[in-house]
Amino acid sequence: MRRLAKWVVAVPMAILALATIYPLVFTANVAMKTRREYVLDRFSLTDTLHWDNIVTAWGSVGMARYFANSLLVVAASVFLLLLLGSMAGFALSRLPFRGSKALFIGCLAALFIPFQVIMVPLSRVMADTGLIDTYPGLILAYVAQFLPFTVFLMTSYYRSVPKEIVDAARIDGNTVYGVYRRIMVPIGRPALLSVGILDALFCWNDVIIALLMMPSADHRTLMVGVTSLRGQYTDNVPTFASGVLIAAVPVLLVYLFLQRQIADGVTAGSTKG
Amino acid sequence: MPTRNTSPVVRPGNPGRAAEGGTKERARHGAARRRGRSERLAPYVLIAPAVLIIVALRLYPLALGVNFSFTGDGDANGTAVGFANYLELLDDPLFQTALANVGLLVLLLPVAVAIPGLLATFIYLKVPGHRFFRSVYFFPAVLSPVIVGAIFNLMLAFDGPLNEFLGAVGLGPVDWLGDPGVAKFAVVGVQIWATFGMALVVFLAGFATLDSSLLDAARVDGASLRQSIWHVIIPSLSQTIQFVFVTTMIGMLTSMFGLLYVMTSGGPEGSTYLPEYYIWIQQGQMNRPALASAASTVLFLIMLVVGLLQISVLRRAGRED
Repeated sequence: MRRLAKWVVAVPMAILALATIYPLVFTANVAMKTRREYVLDRFSLTDTLHWDNIVTAWGSVGMARYFANSLLVVAASVFLLLLLGSMAGFALSRLPFRGSKALFIGCLAALFIPFQVIMVPLSRVMADTGLIDTYPGLILAYVAQFLPFTVFLMTSYYRSVPKEIVDAARIDGNTVYGVYRRIMVPIGRPALLSVGILDALFCWNDVIIALLMMPSADHRTLMVGVTSLRGQYTDNVPTFASGVLIAAVPVLLVYLFLQRQIADGVTAGSTKG
Repeated sequence: MPTRNTSPVVRPGNPGRAAEGGTKERARHGAARRRGRSERLAPYVLIAPAVLIIVALRLYPLALGVNFSFTGDGDANGTAVGFANYLELLDDPLFQTALANVGLLVLLLPVAVAIPGLLATFIYLKVPGHRFFRSVYFFPAVLSPVIVGAIFNLMLAFDGPLNEFLGAVGLGPVDWLGDPGVAKFAVVGVQIWATFGMALVVFLAGFATLDSSLLDAARVDGASLRQSIWHVIIPSLSQTIQFVFVTTMIGMLTSMFGLLYVMTSGGPEGSTYLPEYYIWIQQGQMNRPALASAASTVLFLIMLVVGLLQISVLRRAGRED
């Protein structure tokens, strides 16, 4: 491409970039306005930042509670996903045993069962076992949902670890569990980070599983909380925008610092068979 | 690689003479025999929790759901009704709309793949500001559909910024989320806005494997950009393109619930229903779990076709490595 052509292309791309950012900027701007300001002029940039909306959304609307719920559930789910996923990935990639191939294919097949397909029977299973509307129930649902993906990526990552490293550790007298703890966990760190961030985003961003598993109001996760805002604050747009902003900021921060790892995780599935 | 062991003291998966020697040496002690057994079981112990969870909470519910779909709701709860639920589904205008909308998504799929593909091409060719564009475009992909939906509720409101902007250039106003003929396109548009960054990043990973000398050669031969895309980039990236097609389709079929729930609730006049939203309504709102299970089974069959496609793509990718 010639130099001039590149600049010609860059202009619509810049406009598209603007269109990508603008909705967020607009929402943040609205969150900082008073209701009166919003009704009078919704577009102008506020000259004074009104943090009261954020305070209201955080406090009396209950976003603080939802935020804590989300944090707890996501942390526990991601921990379990990484633990179980790396254990299974190690076994499937570096420990030959009878049936390992069948299990890997089974895991791959489970990847293609979307939650919507199993949500009716799953909610019945959860109700029968008394796990519905409990934190362990939601955590278990998230682990079940994202485990096939986690196992798949950890297995492909561990396949790239030279077999000699594992063999050498075994010769040194390590048990299989010792190899897992002393070799596979430390060596898997980049993959654990990428997969862990993606799993955290999936769990944090989910709404359908949380809606189904946690019916009571004080068990709401942050995303379910945002959907409930919509009904409650239709005529108070700045408070609504503040709730949305509170839910978006953690993701924005993770994105700013860990963009590379997120992209690595997304593309790992596309390049590795 | 040995896949099974004949000698009971040799640990499984221990290739190489040195390792076997080490085992023999240790086998003199009784403790080593116990350890040998625990070592042999180790792979199963490591994989058991994952298998248990996947079987109990994904595969078993899948079977249970298919079974549900052949039973009745309400008074007929638990009794076999054959294909009655499926017949009712086909008769339900809302489910018909949901399937028609899946068809619409399939038709729009090439657009949803071409946009990130073209943008990735320009970023790969290093247009001014390509690094910045890459970061910005990818960002919406990490946002929850709920947040995206909430933001676009504001943007697409009848008195919202988009109509204001259109008014300023002498167009509109359009009732983006209130007009049955417009709302589904608005929602798909938002879905594409929210996910094109994901596909873009996958495309860029594909470009990283592209032999740049091919492009240089094409340029030396005087090929235009269009010719380069058509004759060099598309053939070289065919695998990536297939992967993006399949993942975008899966995303459209299974990750639009949040958008629908927040933006339209399936309306106006049921025009934005998708199978996943239909399942949700029948299960949660209408108390028709068996009918919902039948819809789930239909969605699963659609996904199965897409999934088998994906596996064949992954297989081919594995072979060419």
